[in-house]
Amino acid sequence: MPVAVQLTYAMAKELGAQRLEFEGAQTVADVLRMTRERFAGAPARYDELTRVAAVAVNGVLVNYQRGMKTPVRDGDTVAFVKAAAGG
Amino acid sequence: MIKGYAGRVLEVDLRARSFFFAPLDEETARLYIGGKGYGTRLLYDRTPAGIDPLGPENLLIFATGPLNGSVAPQSNRFAVICKSPLTGGIGNATCGGSFALGMKKAGIDVLIVKDRAERPLRLEIDGDRDAVEFLDAGDLWGKGTYATQKLLSRKHQHAVIGPAGENLVLFAGIVSNERIAGRTGVGAVMGSKLLKAVSVRGSRKLDMEDPEKFKAYTKEVRKLFEDHPVLGESMRRFGTGGIVNTTNGRNILPTRNFQKGHFERAMDLSGEFLEDHGLKGVKTSCIHCPVTCGRDVEVEGVGVVKGPEYETLALMGSNLEIGDIKKVAEWNYHADDLGMDTISLGATLSFAMELVERGMLDANLHFGEQAGVTELIQDIGHRRGLGAELADGTKRLAAKYGGSEFAMHVKGLELSAYDPRGSFAQGVEYATTNRGGCHVQGASMYMESVGPLTINPQNLKLKADIPIMQQNIACAINSMVLCIFTTYGMIPKAVHEMNPSSFKYRALAFAFENLPGALLRGAMGIKGKPMLWFEKWLTYITGTTFSSGHLQEIGARIFNLERMYNLREGLTSADDTLPPRILHESTFPGMDSGHPLHLLLPSYYKKRGWSADGVPLRRTLERLQVRV
Repeated sequence: MPVAVQLTYAMAKELGAQRLEFEGAQTVADVLRMTRERFAGAPARYDELTRVAAVAVNGVLVNYQRGMKTPVRDGDTVAFVKAAAGG
Repeated sequence: MIKGYAGRVLEVDLRARSFFFAPLDEETARLYIGGKGYGTRLLYDRTPAGIDPLGPENLLIFATGPLNGSVAPQSNRFAVICKSPLTGGIGNATCGGSFALGMKKAGIDVLIVKDRAERPLRLEIDGDRDAVEFLDAGDLWGKGTYATQKLLSRKHQHAVIGPAGENLVLFAGIVSNERIAGRTGVGAVMGSKLLKAVSVRGSRKLDMEDPEKFKAYTKEVRKLFEDHPVLGESMRRFGTGGIVNTTNGRNILPTRNFQKGHFERAMDLSGEFLEDHGLKGVKTSCIHCPVTCGRDVEVEGVGVVKGPEYETLALMGSNLEIGDIKKVAEWNYHADDLGMDTISLGATLSFAMELVERGMLDANLHFGEQAGVTELIQDIGHRRGLGAELADGTKRLAAKYGGSEFAMHVKGLELSAYDPRGSFAQGVEYATTNRGGCHVQGASMYMESVGPLTINPQNLKLKADIPIMQQNIACAINSMVLCIFTTYGMIPKAVHEMNPSSFKYRALAFAFENLPGALLRGAMGIKGKPMLWFEKWLTYITGTTFSSGHLQEIGARIFNLERMYNLREGLTSADDTLPPRILHESTFPGMDSGHPLHLLLPSYYKKRGWSADGVPLRRTLERLQVRV
């Protein structure tokens, strides 16, 4: 199974897909680079949309793991997560 | 009389069809503010232990606070307090809409409803004439909450029940406009009294200590809210549904009766999706609230209805594995019209689906399938067939059919939509909150798993401290009576704008997480000057200084009184737990077990000033002036 990427709504709208899948990614940094490459011709747009998004692997923020060096394995889900509030 | 209060309690006896006005007790108001706090004090003092929650001895108390009737944002809420038929312990719920404003304009701080009518009736209260009319409600009995409100006088503000309350569905609520006091079965208590509706009117104005300061400062706060990334941007655009993608990304979105924390179709349930596909362009709010977290959606065959909020999207969407937001909106409409709490309803439906999946219940009810759900919701509201059994909630359904290990409730109250396996402080809050498994009695998840500056939610640091502080402040907020969303504005815009991967952000989060709990609680407990808006509003309105320390103390007083009520009614520390699924099953790779409640609860008790078996110590009660 490839690594799945859960996008924010704005990213999904931009790319026309709710999720991405990548083969061969070893770390979170790889996944982020591959995701950025999907914004062909508009990497600045990727930077803008992810500016305040945290990154989680299987629900756990990479800030509590090894940051961008956090390893990923087939079947993992990498998510871009924005702060929000609900009730 | 203290400024900010109408100064009157109206007591109504439904059987005798009599009423009288009594002065508000100033000492109780000083100690408990109003709303939930004042109501809990009344319930404790005025009802004996062991009463039947659906019997005539139970009181149904509607209570406002000193902020109600003002133009402060998020301030038009009322609290309902009674013994809960769902949990057997303290029952309470708060509600927006317009009823709180109506009560204050009628010059009523608290309405106590006693005994039981002999046939269905409704109350019409005119505060200007000090008149209460006991009117026959036979023609309204059986009608939904929307139809009922349409048929009532436009000059009054209303609180009504639907068929669910009439039929004693144990998670029935009380509705004002399109908002609902949903939790703990307060609507069933109203139904048990054969009381269909309470309507109030009046023309009194709120008397406050320093109206000029209040007015000028409120203008500032409105601006602050409008510019705030959560209150002014996210909630305005997406409603509370804006959180769906966040909880999904954090693996805490209840899915398939909490078997998972991640739903493949979550995006289709999100507030962003709603904005793109369903919003009619009408955003709705409670009176004087600039947040406008409500929104209308058009549902085919039903019309324009209230859009579902986060809890409904999760409990009746992902938790049933339904990714169709229009269908969830339709179910939400039916639940509101019947007058039912969608959290308990959704959790009970998902529990029944799992019973069916395991062959423990024979019914045509399956995860991911919409067929039969609409009809079953109606059957629950009317207590027909299988619906009559689901109307008693998850705990009782498990007692009959088994499956207590995956019955998702605490103390009988179904869990809200934040899976505590990825939010440990929220788990402690669920386990210890007096009314049961609810999130708005503290909202610890905001500090650890969904807010702009979150600590690691899966270690033990601060996980006993945060719930205490949050539960205390929520008790105070629910006694003013304000919306809990007001606390979401406490984290400033600058923090929201930080990149979570940046060194600055990580350093801030690290510093927060590694604060000693005692220091954090001590800082919050300092009685100084009012700093936050709700502290200043209370101060300007009442003329008494309220700071963080004052509100923490009052909140702790209310929380401990609720605790004493529960102990009196037979609940014990054994009820301070989480569903076995949450304790023993992992939803995170590499996590061997579930929530480590056993490691946190002793610390929580100790920090609360309770014994090892969860009983408030005498010195704690004395310090907080809790009379029992």
